[in-house]
Amino acid sequence: MDPALAVEIVRLRKVFGSFAAVDGLDLRIAKGEIYGLLGPNGAGKTTLIRILCGLMAPTSGEVLVWGHRMPWERDALIRITGYMAQKFSLYEDLSVKENLEFYGRLYGMPFKALKGRVSELLSFLSLEDFSDRLAGRLSGGMKQRLALGVALIHRPKFLILDEPTAGVDPPIRRAFWDYLRGLNKESVTILITTHYMDEAENCDRIALMNRGKIIAEGTPRELKRGVFGGDVVEITVRGSGDPALALPFCRVIEKGAEGCSGAASSLKVIVQDAPREMPAMVNALERAGFKVVSVSPTYVNLEDVFVRVVEGVRKGA
Amino acid sequence: MPEGAPPKVLAVVRKELIQLTRDPRSLLMIALIPLVVMLLFGVGYGGSSGKVGIIIVDMDRGQMASALIEAISETPTISVKAYAGSVEEARRLVSGGTAASALVIPEGFTPSLMSGSPVQILVVIDEASPTLASTVKDSMLAVTYYFQQEYARQIHGPSVELIYNSVYGPKVTNLEAFTPFVVALVLQLVPTTLISIAICREKEKGTFEQLIMSPVSRFDIIFGKLVAYFTATLVDMLITLFVAIYIFGVVIRGSILDLMLISTVYLLGSLGLGMLISVLSRNQLQANQAAIFIFIPFLLFCGGLAPVELLSPQAATIANINPMYHFIYALRGIMVKGYGLTQLLQPTGALLVYMGAMMSIAPALLKLRVE
Repeated sequence: MDPALAVEIVRLRKVFGSFAAVDGLDLRIAKGEIYGLLGPNGAGKTTLIRILCGLMAPTSGEVLVWGHRMPWERDALIRITGYMAQKFSLYEDLSVKENLEFYGRLYGMPFKALKGRVSELLSFLSLEDFSDRLAGRLSGGMKQRLALGVALIHRPKFLILDEPTAGVDPPIRRAFWDYLRGLNKESVTILITTHYMDEAENCDRIALMNRGKIIAEGTPRELKRGVFGGDVVEITVRGSGDPALALPFCRVIEKGAEGCSGAASSLKVIVQDAPREMPAMVNALERAGFKVVSVSPTYVNLEDVFVRVVEGVRKGA
Repeated sequence: MPEGAPPKVLAVVRKELIQLTRDPRSLLMIALIPLVVMLLFGVGYGGSSGKVGIIIVDMDRGQMASALIEAISETPTISVKAYAGSVEEARRLVSGGTAASALVIPEGFTPSLMSGSPVQILVVIDEASPTLASTVKDSMLAVTYYFQQEYARQIHGPSVELIYNSVYGPKVTNLEAFTPFVVALVLQLVPTTLISIAICREKEKGTFEQLIMSPVSRFDIIFGKLVAYFTATLVDMLITLFVAIYIFGVVIRGSILDLMLISTVYLLGSLGLGMLISVLSRNQLQANQAAIFIFIPFLLFCGGLAPVELLSPQAATIANINPMYHFIYALRGIMVKGYGLTQLLQPTGALLVYMGAMMSIAPALLKLRVE
């Protein structure tokens, strides 16, 4: 296995009865990246995560995490991995501090080091004022932070988070991502699953998962380009004539009302690489006599990407 | 493990004890059940024994009949409920539930006895309750026996006299005879039911998934929980023994230390059994049902209510593989007969094997997986 890889999965299958939850999946995650696994409920994300953690045995295929073969070398994985399950899975009848201390003790942390680490985490996650509150009495956002704290107690190199933001309000989700980016800066590799497409923009790379398979993979930008064949740029100009004719190197996907004299007209085009090609586009338009009002890359949301990819897979099948 | 870190099993013990103290239902079960069971038992079994009602039909009205009736009314286990005029009326009263039995002294009872001829008296019994019926039979035998002794003495005739000599010691009260059974009852039911949810509650609530993502071994999980529940249920053992000895005045003829030792072994066995149930159950409901279901054969073949030797040979065989039977046997030996454990090698050995088996099967079957 390539030492730069955190995870390498080859031809993984997990079958429950006649249902294949994971169906011949390949996946590579590099050390140091934030990797997002996206897909609707039932796509097989949680099964994949559980196999990755050695919590479930695969039906067939190979799973290597940090070079350790799962599920046989689970003990080695546990030492370097912090895990946050989809459902809140800490003791509701123990306080915030007691939960953290319990897990610290299970990692064999000596008393003094444990005390230090717990207060460090409490302040990092802004939970100092709630350290004696029972976990069952915390709000959703606080529960989520506590679960992250428990996952971090032993300073893991690899953080595996299974839908950590499910059912949490958007502002709290954003705050949670601030924590994750902070950890990633300290070179913690993060694997996160979500079904919120907007969150995936935060990831270095993402994989779209559907029906037990990865149907598209890459950086958020690559994925969008992959679907539309490039970046989408929206152009508004003033002038008469068809601005599309001035841009022979662009593929036009949408045309607004054709400009009469002086009126604005707009169009959407696709280019290979928007930042690189935009100046040339402006030049070409101006040379053709148009007054350029605006040229800007459009925000394509990953939801559109996902829908298009899934449709493409269906048509192809 | 780094230097200076306490063993992980202690972390589990500590966590379980905190959780136990925060769960009012468990606390109530630990403290209240043994107290209530012991007190109910003491009130029900400790006072003077009840009496079986009898109806008398005296068709003789002679002097011998009066003597017999007097003897009956003096019998401690029988109370005369009513007098009836005829056998039919007596039967009606017995089947109607006024009394459990009726005694019919036939016409010519006194003259026949006077002339030395054999006589018969009729006893009508409601057999619906075997225990009551056998009490009536025993009492009537005793009364007849006593009456015959008196009669033989009067006519200077020959008689055979029975003298009972108890090997259990001079005097064993009802309470003392049943205390081993009740102690076994509490030490079987409470620990097993209590700990039976220990693992499956974690699975049901999802905490198990997080727990096994830490470097905890199945031995840490099982023995951590066992030690915590042992500490808690040790209280049950002390309560039951304390109530028996200090409140009901049950005399322990053997050594208290032996009593504690054998009870501890049984307590650990019960906890191990409950843990096994927990490992095998999918959820808390299933575990509770399993704990109660297993309790039934334990109870039926423990020999605490009816001697299993008298039930059937099969019952005796089943009893031999029933830990509760061996425990009650050992408790009786220590409490009533004053034996030491060295005189109770067989039940002690059986209980040690039971404990060892339960302690090792549960961790062997626990899988650190989510399925």
